[in-house]
Amino acid sequence: MEGGARRAVFSPVDNRARVDAVARRIGDAIELGLLAEGEQLPGESELAGQLGVSTVTLREALMALRQQGLVTTRRGRGGGSFVSLPEAPADDRLRARLRGWSTEELRDLGDHWAALSGAAARLAAQRTEPGDLRPLRRTAEELAGAEDAPGRSRLYGRFHVELAAAAQSARLTREQVALQSEVGPLLCLVLADDACREEVAERHRAVISAVQDGAHETAGTLAERCVRESAARLVAVRLTL
Amino acid sequence: MGVSSGLATPDTEAEPWVAAQVGGALEAVFHAVAATRADTTALLDRVTAAGRRPASADLAALRPGLHLRLTREELVSGAGFVAAPGLLTDVPAWLEWWQSGADGDVRPLLLDLDPGQSAYSDYTHWDWFALPRDTGHRAVAGPYVDYLCSDEYSLTLSEPVWIQGRFAGVAAADVYLRHFEAAVLPLLRSLSRPARLVNARGRVAASADPAHLAGSLTRGPDFGEVLAEGRPAVHDGVRLVPCHGIPLVLVLAEG
Repeated sequence: MEGGARRAVFSPVDNRARVDAVARRIGDAIELGLLAEGEQLPGESELAGQLGVSTVTLREALMALRQQGLVTTRRGRGGGSFVSLPEAPADDRLRARLRGWSTEELRDLGDHWAALSGAAARLAAQRTEPGDLRPLRRTAEELAGAEDAPGRSRLYGRFHVELAAAAQSARLTREQVALQSEVGPLLCLVLADDACREEVAERHRAVISAVQDGAHETAGTLAERCVRESAARLVAVRLTL
Repeated sequence: MGVSSGLATPDTEAEPWVAAQVGGALEAVFHAVAATRADTTALLDRVTAAGRRPASADLAALRPGLHLRLTREELVSGAGFVAAPGLLTDVPAWLEWWQSGADGDVRPLLLDLDPGQSAYSDYTHWDWFALPRDTGHRAVAGPYVDYLCSDEYSLTLSEPVWIQGRFAGVAAADVYLRHFEAAVLPLLRSLSRPARLVNARGRVAASADPAHLAGSLTRGPDFGEVLAEGRPAVHDGVRLVPCHGIPLVLVLAEG
């Protein structure tokens, strides 16, 4: 075997997956606006330490981000890696990101999300009193009136985080926050459609009613159905790419 | 476990004592909140007297006091001043908020409050902000999952801050529920019946009763009324003892 091929065969097995995971995490954060245009990323060794990966893995991930035009690197004094949004329209960039997901991964993401939100809705129905539902109502109404797709996806995410908080579970809430940072940018693609936004808002209102009535099985089923429906729409978009 | 023996009888002297001890533990946190409030009022008065309107940088003067409270007061895990929107000239909203980390270091909370980017940019509907603003009194919010600041299951104690008769924001401190439980569990377990602490809405804040864990709801009694009356009461055989000065009720299962 040639030297390069040999090195590839004997490289750590999960290295590619780690590179992809790091590139996806940082790329999603940039698309969601969590990292601002022009913002400087922490130094390589610091960032690698924070993410729990080797500097080699981090460098490969940064290279992938540079190829996508989401990061630029300047050398010398005042150098480092900086967030930069390419000229391409946001919609095209998001489609490019979605292409990085297999339908199997999207299905798996939907399953995880349904498990979290379904469990949260069931517990919330047992543990809420009317005052706890105010944030959820506010978010459902804001979503019904939200104009742009990123705003809609942030409100969609906020609803599910608030649902987990209404379940009085810090763990489910933390998991939901982490999940929303992954799914948020992708959801922009389906929530740009007004009919989809209205359907989601309607489903959220139905979840709130069931939680208020203490109907925990109904609340859980409705929350799961809402999330599965969105994941299915996402898979449908992926299949057109 | 804090399960009573069959021989025990309701201990009507120990119960008010435990309620008073619980009140005392949170009263110490309120002292820290009052100190932040005093610092903030003095600071805002100084800025106003100089003929200026306050900016976010002015609030840096609160840091030494906040750090002191975070390191000295065992139950306090977060402390700060949360400005009413429109108070500061340079930013629409602001939390001068500091937290103690797992390794004992003190860190600022850096929040994205840009309404165009963050789904959590408006904090004015949270109980710890709304209750002191609307009632003019100090408040205990929670237990609740604080996904805005700490990601922890918490109680937040807060007081309104006024400047020239106008609401300027709240001084507040976070108590993580696991620390609160560690502080009050020995007290609850010392009682002869399974006991728990419940907030004005019936939410359990700490419990030595395996049938009613923290986070669950106790439905039935009007805990708000028990707190307003300030006297022990009985509801369906369950004893309810208000904690003086703190909106928590000690609930004792049927003996």
